[in-house]
Amino acid sequence: MPAFWYYVFTLIFFLFDYFILAMGLNIQYGETGILNFAYIGFVAIGSYVTGAVSLPSSAGTGQQYILGLSLPFPINLIIGGLAASALALFVALITLRRLRTDYLAMVLISLSLVLWDLINNYVRLFNGADGLYNVPEPMASVFKLTTNSFVPFFAGVTAAVALILWFLMSRITRSPLGRTFRAIRDDADVAAALGKGVFRYQLTSMLIGAFYAGIGGGLIIQFGGSFNTSAWLPGETFVIFAVIIVGGVGNNLGLLVGALLVETLLIHLPAFLPDIPGHPELIQYIDAMLIGILLMVMLWFRPQGMIPERVRRSPLLSTFSKSDGQQVVVPTSPSSVMTATDSAALRNVDEKDES
Amino acid sequence: MAQFWLAFGFGLVTASVLAIAAVGLSLQFGITNYINFAYGDFMALGAYFTYALNSEFLHLNVWIALVGGSLCMGLLAVLFNHFLLGPFARRFNKTFYVLIVTFGLSLIILNAIYSIWGANVRAYNMKIEQVLHIGPFLLTRNQLIVMAISVVMMLLVHLMLKTTRLGKSMRAMSDNTTLAMTSGIDTRRITTITWFLSGTLAGLAGSVLGITEGNVTPAPGELFLFVIFAAVIVGGVGSIYGAMAGAVLIGLATEISAAFFNASYKLDVAFVILILTLLFRPNGLFARPGRA
Repeated sequence: MPAFWYYVFTLIFFLFDYFILAMGLNIQYGETGILNFAYIGFVAIGSYVTGAVSLPSSAGTGQQYILGLSLPFPINLIIGGLAASALALFVALITLRRLRTDYLAMVLISLSLVLWDLINNYVRLFNGADGLYNVPEPMASVFKLTTNSFVPFFAGVTAAVALILWFLMSRITRSPLGRTFRAIRDDADVAAALGKGVFRYQLTSMLIGAFYAGIGGGLIIQFGGSFNTSAWLPGETFVIFAVIIVGGVGNNLGLLVGALLVETLLIHLPAFLPDIPGHPELIQYIDAMLIGILLMVMLWFRPQGMIPERVRRSPLLSTFSKSDGQQVVVPTSPSSVMTATDSAALRNVDEKDES
Repeated sequence: MAQFWLAFGFGLVTASVLAIAAVGLSLQFGITNYINFAYGDFMALGAYFTYALNSEFLHLNVWIALVGGSLCMGLLAVLFNHFLLGPFARRFNKTFYVLIVTFGLSLIILNAIYSIWGANVRAYNMKIEQVLHIGPFLLTRNQLIVMAISVVMMLLVHLMLKTTRLGKSMRAMSDNTTLAMTSGIDTRRITTITWFLSGTLAGLAGSVLGITEGNVTPAPGELFLFVIFAAVIVGGVGSIYGAMAGAVLIGLATEISAAFFNASYKLDVAFVILILTLLFRPNGLFARPGRA
């Protein structure tokens, strides 16, 4: 296969993988308002666990790792996702109830740094700084895939996984559960006053988001066959935030657009640019700065993203307003729209469809 | 036991650096009410400014270069506040936005450092010191100077907060910005001065870290930031004196544990202390009521 097509399919893989990662962070940050600066840590756990359960037992491989169960494709991925959720459960139980947004963000970023440090130093866990490698290509033996045909095949598998996860996520965001998430994001106190157990919903959101992170991470290690600590420095979390903010907070389709823009233009474009003589890595640094600048420009001029969050209007809202004798003020900013519609919808609908 | 006292000495050095950094972060947090996630990179940048003055341009003595580097970082922090963070904080009510901007700023500064100075480890141009035996401790003269700088800075910050008009205004703003504004305090001016102090302390902390470690790297932006957070949270977020105490506690705990367990798990010890604090005293050991 020509190198060009090889590259295109790699891009397609990363596009859909970032889409999955962005959906996971979006339900935490975009829908529920949890500023998870440790997101890449959950991705890494998913990746390591997926790799470790698909590798054979570690004796004789020259690597040190736990597990080593030689599990086949969909099962290892799901175990990776569940492992990330388990970490989220542990973190959320300690921190979510006690801390407000910015302290939570501080503790979470600390968590991702410590996790990084721990995995780097404790070699027996996931082979330390070298990371896991030679992870078997999933289903390669079943379909008799060569190294060349594996890339397009797995890009397709990832796209299929992404579409399934997209379907599930759109079900969640449209459900009363998703509506409660958004109400908590807009004003946790109002949601609590309306009888919503804020902690329980935030916990749910963390678990779902971490599961998506784990799946996304698991796909990365299966695609590339290796994963190590250089792949998940805390700055990577920022790239996923950039995908969400550029694409549109709280909009699943926007995330795909964001993933396309950020991932393809800013991360893979440098591969086509000529190196600056004498400074082989300069392009990469400038590129990372550009992502930061792009995000700030986006936040300032178009905080709602390329594709803004859809204004969700409950059909009951009009009847509610009429019966109340109040005028419906049409708000302009997405966040005030959500407050108006979601609180109203909560008052009217949730008792019916949640009980 | 000798090993314990040795580690205690190193702990005091780490605590000195940490205290400068933690107080700088706490000052700014108390005034603007959002965490600066680029603070570790402010430290790294300050250290590189000192490096530039020390080894690249003027070839100053490292202690003079350190003053210059710190002040440069202070001025840069004022510019960051004026053109970037301030406008974002005023425009958006939710702290989300400005937190993400500081996170992004951290990425930009880190990569700017890599672009300008490269990824290689640098070292300050200073004399190689004999190790001094002082009681049970083994310290270099530079480490003693760093400890002295830290103690003097803590005293200065204390005197500024308690005796000057500026410090009084800062404490008032930290308690209640709106009330301070209605009492005639020029909050913009105080905010600018606070950023200058915070940036200067960050630059100073980064530079003395470089001096005590013997090398300059962009690492403070990543791993050291977390240790500062641990100190600040353990001491109680927003409390200056809590930050000092937290710094001493975390500094001693990490170095003493390093003497008895594997030194690569220093950070994990700090994290365990952080988690224990959150579990049993979520507002920190020296919390002020109504925060966190």
